Amino acid sequence: MLALLGILEAGRNIRAPLSIAGDWTLEFDPAAGCANGPADLRQPALNISQSGSEALITLNDGHATSLEATVNGAVLKAGSLTASIAGKPAARTLAGAMNFAGCAPVPFRGVRQVSRKRDE
Amino acid sequence: MPNLFQLVLQIAVILVAARVVGFLFQKINQPQVMGEMVAGILLGPSLLGWLAPGASAALFPPASLGYLNALSQVGLVVFMFVVGLALNPSELKGYGHAAVLTSHVSIAAPFCLGGLTALYLYPRLSDDAVAFTGFALFIGAAMSITAFPVLARILSERGLVRSRMGTLAIACAAVDDVTGWCILAYIVVLVRVTHAARPAWVTIAGSIVYVLIMLFVVRRLLPAFEREFRKRDRLSDNLVAVMVVLVLVSALATEWLGIHLLFGAFLMGAIMPKTPEFTRYVLHKFESVTVVLLLPLFFAYTGLRTRIGVGGGRAIWFYSVLVIVVAITGKLGGSMFAARLSGMPWREAASLGILMNTRGLMELVILNIGLDIGVISPAMFSIMVLMALVTTFMTTPLLEWVYPTRLFRAQVDEVQENAA
Repeated sequence: MLALLGILEAGRNIRAPLSIAGDWTLEFDPAAGCANGPADLRQPALNISQSGSEALITLNDGHATSLEATVNGAVLKAGSLTASIAGKPAARTLAGAMNFAGCAPVPFRGVRQVSRKRDE
Repeated sequence: MPNLFQLVLQIAVILVAARVVGFLFQKINQPQVMGEMVAGILLGPSLLGWLAPGASAALFPPASLGYLNALSQVGLVVFMFVVGLALNPSELKGYGHAAVLTSHVSIAAPFCLGGLTALYLYPRLSDDAVAFTGFALFIGAAMSITAFPVLARILSERGLVRSRMGTLAIACAAVDDVTGWCILAYIVVLVRVTHAARPAWVTIAGSIVYVLIMLFVVRRLLPAFEREFRKRDRLSDNLVAVMVVLVLVSALATEWLGIHLLFGAFLMGAIMPKTPEFTRYVLHKFESVTVVLLLPLFFAYTGLRTRIGVGGGRAIWFYSVLVIVVAITGKLGGSMFAARLSGMPWREAASLGILMNTRGLMELVILNIGLDIGVISPAMFSIMVLMALVTTFMTTPLLEWVYPTRLFRAQVDEVQENAA
């Protein structure tokens, strides 16, 4: 029991990567002027499956396009997406930009839907 | 509405795969259930989804998995009732010091080693939505579980149930299971309470009231089933239906309290009357459909969530080996040394450690709960599933190597001669 308490005490100061797992609704900047890309995404636009600093982003674009991503501090980087992560785990947000074919990067803000369930 | 054609097709494919792989595993002296677990993994992204992603996506589209999961959860509720029913606390009596010491150490050693491993794995495979305490306790509990049903089946298939080793292993596994589920219930409450709409005191006070009602009210009513069984040598369909409803109500009570469906089903089984004839009859009534039809669905659902070698970066294989080594060291090593300390010869102590190291499908049940409540990540889930498969697979050959069947049988004969 003492050993377990010691382990739990030692673990208090260990920091894990910021949580981004779950479904995300994205709001794109309408002024960005990209006709196709954002419109193809249905809400929730992203599903993120996370294991530590590695994540797999699945776009809700009808083809379930997936992107491998990494969480480095408060920055999320995937192939066509870069965002900064903010807020506490229960009210986490993303703010960044996403690339679509033929467009300049489109800024977006993302809000995580409340769910504790992790799924593939 | 579910796509019925797809659902029935999925069930048929899963059952065929489970029976075929189970049969092949029996050919290499593995328990059937080991093959069924592997069949589930083979149907998931680790093999079918990797070899034939198109076929996998057509057969198991993500939108259809909810129905498969619902069916498998119903199967698990019945299965946990059966596990609880098969547990008999009186089995521990008569084994004194060895059983008490071995069962305690076989929980404490893997639990602490699991906690230590969590210090290393938490920043690598978890995230800040999960508190370290919940993560470490879960890893500890998952490392310390023994698959009571698989263990019983291995011993039964080898004709070792009545050996000193077999009975001691079953007694220790029973204690481990009860303790493991109590710890897990605490972890589920701990993790869920911070996210639940219900206040924590409702969950805690409600759980205490629920357990008291089960132990001091419901338990006293249950012998009525046994009396009816003795009168007619069977239970009427109406009584079996009443029993099923009691299991479901108990499961719903624990789910409502924020623990989990399965705890209620398990406790209902654990407090049922334990006379051998009655237990055998009820097990027979419930086991066939559960084991043949519903458990393979659970294995397949688990397999569909398992991506062996994916997630967590290139270090995933290192983490997998680490978890497997720690799990074996804690459970096998801990049980073996405890048994040796309590006076068992080395060979018997090692055999007991090997038997206690069997995690089997109880581990898969616990891991699915962990993934559902978000306390472990998909990569951690896959690593632990791999560990469960390895530790279950190694039991039979390792046992045969350390303590060959002929020696075991000689011991059984000796015990029977002494008894005569």
